[in-house]
Amino acid sequence: MSLPESMSRIVIVGTKSHMDEAIEALFDVKAIHLIDHTVDADEGFTLGTPRPYSPKASERLLKVRAMEKELGVTKMVKTVPIPEDEIKSQISSDSVELVEKDVQSVLDKRNDLNQRITELNATKKSLELLSDIPVDLELYSGYRSIVSIVGTVAEDPTAALSAVNCEVFTSFNKKKGNVVAVFAKVEDKDAVQSILSECGFSEIAVPAGTGSAASVLANTDCELTTATTEMENIEKEIQNLLEKHKDFLKASDEELSIEIQKGEIPVRIANSEYTFVIDAWVPTAKVDTVKTAIESKVAGTYVEVQETRGRTMKEVEESEDRFKTAPTKFNNGKVVKEFEYPTKLVSVPKYQEIDPSILIAIFLPMFFGLMVGDVGYAIPFIILGAYGLKVTHHKDWRAIATVLFFGGIWAFIFGFFFFGECLGMHFVSSHHMLDVEYSWQMLLGLDNLPEVFSGILPYESGVGKLFHVGFLLKLSVYIGIVHLMIAYLCALYNKAIQHGFKHAFMEKGGWIFGFIGLVLVCYGLANVLIYSSQYTFNDVLPFIAVGAVFIIIEIVMNIKHEGIQAILELPGIVGNILSYTRLAAIGMSKAGMALAFNYIAIGMIAGGIDGILGIILGFLLFAFLHLMIWTLAILSAGLHGLRLQMVELMAKFFEGGGIEYNPLKIKRDKTASNANNN
Amino acid sequence: MADVGLGLIAIGAGLAVGLTGLGAGMAEKDVGAAAVGAITENEALFGKAMIFMVLPETIVIFGLVIAILGIFVMSGM
Repeated sequence: MSLPESMSRIVIVGTKSHMDEAIEALFDVKAIHLIDHTVDADEGFTLGTPRPYSPKASERLLKVRAMEKELGVTKMVKTVPIPEDEIKSQISSDSVELVEKDVQSVLDKRNDLNQRITELNATKKSLELLSDIPVDLELYSGYRSIVSIVGTVAEDPTAALSAVNCEVFTSFNKKKGNVVAVFAKVEDKDAVQSILSECGFSEIAVPAGTGSAASVLANTDCELTTATTEMENIEKEIQNLLEKHKDFLKASDEELSIEIQKGEIPVRIANSEYTFVIDAWVPTAKVDTVKTAIESKVAGTYVEVQETRGRTMKEVEESEDRFKTAPTKFNNGKVVKEFEYPTKLVSVPKYQEIDPSILIAIFLPMFFGLMVGDVGYAIPFIILGAYGLKVTHHKDWRAIATVLFFGGIWAFIFGFFFFGECLGMHFVSSHHMLDVEYSWQMLLGLDNLPEVFSGILPYESGVGKLFHVGFLLKLSVYIGIVHLMIAYLCALYNKAIQHGFKHAFMEKGGWIFGFIGLVLVCYGLANVLIYSSQYTFNDVLPFIAVGAVFIIIEIVMNIKHEGIQAILELPGIVGNILSYTRLAAIGMSKAGMALAFNYIAIGMIAGGIDGILGIILGFLLFAFLHLMIWTLAILSAGLHGLRLQMVELMAKFFEGGGIEYNPLKIKRDKTASNANNN
Repeated sequence: MADVGLGLIAIGAGLAVGLTGLGAGMAEKDVGAAAVGAITENEALFGKAMIFMVLPETIVIFGLVIAILGIFVMSGM
C-alpha cells in the first residue's frame, strides 16, 4: 500500500564559526525538513540571530521590489537568467543602489508630472464652466465690500435672488452644466448662500489669471498638451528602463530572497554561545547521504540519527511535542503524482495513514470514462488532456488535464468495447435501438460493421445507455460495493498500522461485517421486491439470514464504543452504495441529450429542408450541440467522479491533517545556478 | 385502463425526480452560500467545502433511482 515515505529524525551539531558553510550544506543536500526550535525547548540554548549579511539584503530586496512594482516588472514579464556569480558580484558592488538612483529620478519626474496634469485638468474643468460668463477672471476677486460666489446649480436661482441686492450672471448649458456667478455685498453673503444652497449649489474655485476665461482656457489647454507629451516621453523612458533593468531586477530579487532565506536559518535553530544544534526530518533512504555530505563539507559538524519513525501512534505519544508530527512525503510514481492534487484538496495525509492518491488515480479516470463512455467525446478529451499536460505547469490546470487525459482513455475503452458508441450513436444497428435512434451502420451504409464488431461488443451492438438501464444500474451498484469495500479495508489497514491489528479489528472490523451484511440483505430484498416474478422470498432467505447475522455481529461489536450510532449509521451505508448509481444516471442523461440532438440535426441534414443551406445548418447544429454535451461532460462526469472519491471513498478511512514534507532547497528561475555551469 | 396506470407511473417518476431536485436545491443553496463564505476566508477549505456542497446531490440520485425503477420495473418494460 502507498504509505508516505519513511522519515528519520536527525540532529546536526556544529560550531558557530562554520555556520555559513553549514547553511550552504543544508540547502545543498535538498533533504532537510527543518524542525523549528522553540524557546526553552533545551536548557542553555536560545534562538539565534540572522546572519550579518541578512539586514542589508532585506533592505536591498525592499528597494528591488519597490522598483519592480513601479516599473511594472510583473510575474508575466519574461527575463533572461543571470549567472549566480555575476548577480552576486553585481549586488555586492552596489548595483541595486545605482539602479535605484537611475530609476528613482525618472519615477520622481513622473510623479510630479502626474500631479501637474491632475491640477491642470481641474483648472480646465472650472474654466470650461466659467467661459460662458462674461466676466474676466481678475474681476472675480480683489474687492473690499463685494464678494463673488461662483458655482454650479441644479435650478435657476435668479428669481429667488431678486430679493437681495446683488448682480447675477448665469449660464445654462445642458452639456457643461449650469453655472452661476453672484456678486453681492459682503454683509449679504450668508443670505445669498442660503438661497443658492436651496438651488443645489456647489462652489467652484475660480482659477487665477487675467483676461477672459476662454483665453485662459486656451492657455491651459496648451499647457496640458505639453504636459501630456512630456508624460508620453517619460513613459517611454520608463519602458526603456524596464527593458534595461528587468533582468537585473528579477535576478537580484531572487538572489536576495535566497540570501535572506539562508540568513534567517539561525533564527529557526538552537544556538549556544559557540555551537548550534539543528533538529530535522530526513527521508530514511537519504540519511546516510545527508550524513556524509554534511560531515564532509563542513568542518566540526556531527550528524546523529535520533530515531526512524514508525507508523504506530504510541511512538507519536511518547515523543516531545515538537517531534510529534513527522512530515508526509508523498511516495508516488510519475503518473500517480498528478493525482495528489485531489488528495491535497481535502487534506495532506498523515504520516501514519494510506495516501489515497493511488486509489484516486485508478478510480477517478475510470468513473469519468464510464460516465462519458463514448469514442466521439473521448478522443477530444485525450487530445486536450495531452496538450494540457504538455504546455501547462500550473498545478490546478495540470490536475484537470490529467483527469481529462486518463479519463479520456477510459472513455475510449468503455466507448469502444462496452457501449460501442460514437457521438451518441451505436456503431452497429440492432433490434433494441429506439425508433428515433440512428447508428453509424445506418448513416454510412456500412453493412460489414456488425462482422467487425461481432465478439467485441456485449449485447450485439454494445450496451445501450437508454435501453439496458437495469443492467447499468446494477453494474454501478456493484462498482460501488467494490469501491466501498476497498475503503473499509483501507480503514482497517490504517488502524492496524497505527494501533495493531486487534485494536483495528475491534474498531473497524465491525463496519466491514455490517457492510457485507447490509449488501446481502439488500441483495435479497431487492430481488424479491423488484423481480417478484422471478424470485420468491424463500429463494433469497439464505442471503437475508446470513446478512442479518453479519449485521448483528456489527451491532454487537460497535455498540460498546459507538452506542446507538452503530445502528443509525447502517442506512447511511445504503445511501453510499446507491450514490454510485450516478455512474449510470449521468451516462443516461448524456445519452438522452445526444439522442435528441442527433434526431434533430440528422433529420435536418437528411430531410434537406432548405437544400444545401439546410445541410450546412444541420452540420453546424450537430457540431454545436455535441460540443455542448462534451463541455457538460467535463463538469458533470469530472465533478461527480471526484465526489465519489472524496465523499464515499475517502470519508471512510482518510483522516488527513499531516504536514507536507518541505525540504530546504533553492529554486532558481531568474538566476543560473553555478552548479549548472560546472 | 392499462394506460392510466402507465400514466400514473410516469407522473410518479416525474414527482420523484422533481421533488428531490427541489429538496437538493434548497439544501445546496444554504451549503453553497456558507461554502463560498468559508472559501473567501480561507482558500484551503475549497476541497472540504466542495464535499459539503455536493452532499445533498445524493437525494436527487435517490429520486432518479426510484423514477427509473418505477418506469422500467413497475411498467414491466
